[in-house]
Amino acid sequence: MDYESILEKQFENVVEGEDFSGISEEAARLTEGLSDPFTLENILQATLEQKSLFQSNSMIDSLKELFLYEMKSALVLMAEILCICIILGLLRSLSDGFGSKNVSQLSLLVCTMVIIGISLNSFRISYGLALDAVSTMVWTMEILMPVLMGILIATGSVAGGTILSPLILGAVTGFGFLVKTFILPALYLSAVLSLINCLTEKNYVNKLAKLLRNGAVFFTGLILTILTGVITIQGLLTEASDGVLMSAAKYSISTFIPIVGGFTSDTVELFIRCMGSIRNMVGVFGLLSLLLMMAVPLLKILVVGGIYKLTGALTEPVSEGKTADGLSDMGTAMISIASVLFFTSLLFILFVTTIMNMGGGA
Amino acid sequence: MTEIYAWISNVFLVILSLSFFQILIPESSMEKYLKFIFSLVILAVILEPLMHLVSELE
Repeated sequence: MDYESILEKQFENVVEGEDFSGISEEAARLTEGLSDPFTLENILQATLEQKSLFQSNSMIDSLKELFLYEMKSALVLMAEILCICIILGLLRSLSDGFGSKNVSQLSLLVCTMVIIGISLNSFRISYGLALDAVSTMVWTMEILMPVLMGILIATGSVAGGTILSPLILGAVTGFGFLVKTFILPALYLSAVLSLINCLTEKNYVNKLAKLLRNGAVFFTGLILTILTGVITIQGLLTEASDGVLMSAAKYSISTFIPIVGGFTSDTVELFIRCMGSIRNMVGVFGLLSLLLMMAVPLLKILVVGGIYKLTGALTEPVSEGKTADGLSDMGTAMISIASVLFFTSLLFILFVTTIMNMGGGA
Repeated sequence: MTEIYAWISNVFLVILSLSFFQILIPESSMEKYLKFIFSLVILAVILEPLMHLVSELE
């Protein structure tokens, strides 16, 4: 029996009954088919035949296509807002010609409200995208983690598997909950407040919006730092103890079992190495899924955020300063949402790599 | 969560209606004081959940 068939058999045993096709489907839905080449079977084939997994040309092409498509739809949005802002500036300069000042001021208010409506609508789409991406990433981790932990225990990292499993699952679920119920809504509210602010001549809620946004980003960073530290230190500690355990087991098998001890020890080691490579395959699959689930929504949100910043810069000469400030704050809120999304996936990717690095005792 | 959304929509509505009022009030010597009172109203609306929290703590 060669190692390839052992690997395939063990792989089927591990993967059987798990919802990995669900992860692939969700990833394909979220990334619009970009993640199609990265199924578990393809990763297994690539490992067995020792060829490259990435077709970089097609990847770059489809990413470029996606970028251009998003850019186009965001530019339409920018043109709309720019048109309204030009009308706004025209109204303001014409307002002296009208008899009463009130009428022109009222029309300015209505125009600003139209801008607010348009930008809130597009902001809500991006917000929904970020929420969806975070939910899908949490769900992926919840499927991936038990499987990875099982494989980890099978490779001999008993302490690692038993200690890290509840820790990481708890951290993933808790962090996902925090992001979905507090951090992303806080960013949404801050965007709404900064838009309200451009309705009035005076600054009423400008600082409040900034406080909400900075607080949300700060808390994301804080939680990320704490969780990463705990998991990394715990991983290092358990890895050391598991390494000792594995060496002791191998040594005692080869020494104390007479005659066949050496063979048995080698077989155990082969088994463990096979499990190790399966762990890496599942881990790589998880990493690629998480990465793509992050990358595509991140790209979309960042493009829209950048366009808002650009619109803010372009409208400054034609309209009054307040609208330009509001639009530029919208851009900042979008970029903050993108950074929260990025931090979330970074945390999850760190968890998966911590597990993949462990169990080096064999 | 619903309370926070209600709070933000309150802030939104109050600022919107007060800016309409600010346009509609006639120009007079009272205008400055009216504007100050409007800002006090907005402050009260922003502080409302905090007052709620304080009264709950007691």
